[in-house]
Amino acid sequence: MADLVWLHEDALRRTHPVFSAAASGARAVFVWDNSYLDAALIGLKRRMFIYETLAGLDMDILAGTADKVIATLVAEAHVTRLFVPATPNPAFHALLSSVRSNCPDLEISVIEDTSFVALGEPPDLKRFFRYWNKAKKHAMRHGGVLA
Amino acid sequence: MFSHVVSLSSPETNAITGPDVRAPSPIAGGRAEAEAALAKIDLRAYAASRNHLDGAVTHLSPYIRHGILSLDEVRNHALATVADPKAAEKFIQELAWRDYWQRIYATYPDRIWQDVEPYKTGFDASEYEDDLPRDIANGATGVACIDQFVNMLADTGYLHNHARMYLAAYIVHWRRVRWQAGARWFLQHLLDGDPASNNLSWQWIASTFSNKPYIFNLDNVAKYCGADINTVPRHNLVLDQSYERLSDLLFPHMGGPHG
Repeated sequence: MADLVWLHEDALRRTHPVFSAAASGARAVFVWDNSYLDAALIGLKRRMFIYETLAGLDMDILAGTADKVIATLVAEAHVTRLFVPATPNPAFHALLSSVRSNCPDLEISVIEDTSFVALGEPPDLKRFFRYWNKAKKHAMRHGGVLA
Repeated sequence: MFSHVVSLSSPETNAITGPDVRAPSPIAGGRAEAEAALAKIDLRAYAASRNHLDGAVTHLSPYIRHGILSLDEVRNHALATVADPKAAEKFIQELAWRDYWQRIYATYPDRIWQDVEPYKTGFDASEYEDDLPRDIANGATGVACIDQFVNMLADTGYLHNHARMYLAAYIVHWRRVRWQAGARWFLQHLLDGDPASNNLSWQWIASTFSNKPYIFNLDNVAKYCGADINTVPRHNLVLDQSYERLSDLLFPHMGGPHG
């Protein structure tokens, strides 16, 4: 059994829960995919910022088309479990679907970040202050949870 | 299939215009840099001056946007720096905006690039230009403060929130350009460019995700921007009006079939 952590630009830190979900010492990679970054409208300054951050994370940075690179790694390193941080980004979801299609035996786990507020039921998102009126008492507490 | 040689630029990034777009931002990436910025926050000064261009803003947004810091840890740190949680409320509310935008993104991803609601400006969406005019992208509008904000954006990859609001309102309401064109341009430049926070804020300015369009005038710029920004009236003629006069000029059909 080999685990692989696939980080993306929405979760660039070693303290993300994705690392505790995977086996200790699991290989972690970021795929530098210029087509993906272009589509996300990420300009040169931000690419420098992301690269500076990655350089301090002690992980592999691989250049290529993201879903193809991951599928290749899965095959070559006999990866059985893939762990990715959750993101709302539909473009990343599409990459993940492609990996899922190309690696049907791969177990994929999408790991949520620690929550800002732990609300019992989804809040009304029509306007900010409807959300805030519901979330405030949680948000003002350490950990976002009521004692 | 892949290599360890990363090219940071692409034909797309090379096509982005503006002064100093190829120089690094003064805000450096990295977890250590993020922790250093977090350690510096001063919530008393933040609450007192955050609306001013030279105020005690935290510059944490690029780190939060890229998950280098989590909202949870930033909030917990903020609470630990104050004796009374009320002193952290304004700051935590700003963190909550980020959580709110992300929840919309996750629940309604289509709203990120589509008008959530019709414009409430008196104009139909079809009456707005599709593309960002070149004079705006190049910081050559002839409106002095606007050109300075454009140059700041391109130079640093960062803008104070008020400057973002001024630029967005100028583009959508003075120049009648679709918010999507401005939102794309901001994403290309901002280190903290996030599809949800950025685009839904543009929609808030445009009135497609708010009850009325946001506008400003030169007095407001002068109040919040200090001496480094040129607010001489003759250099900013289109902004030098009362709110009532600007509303009449910019939205002559307001109250009609489109708002």
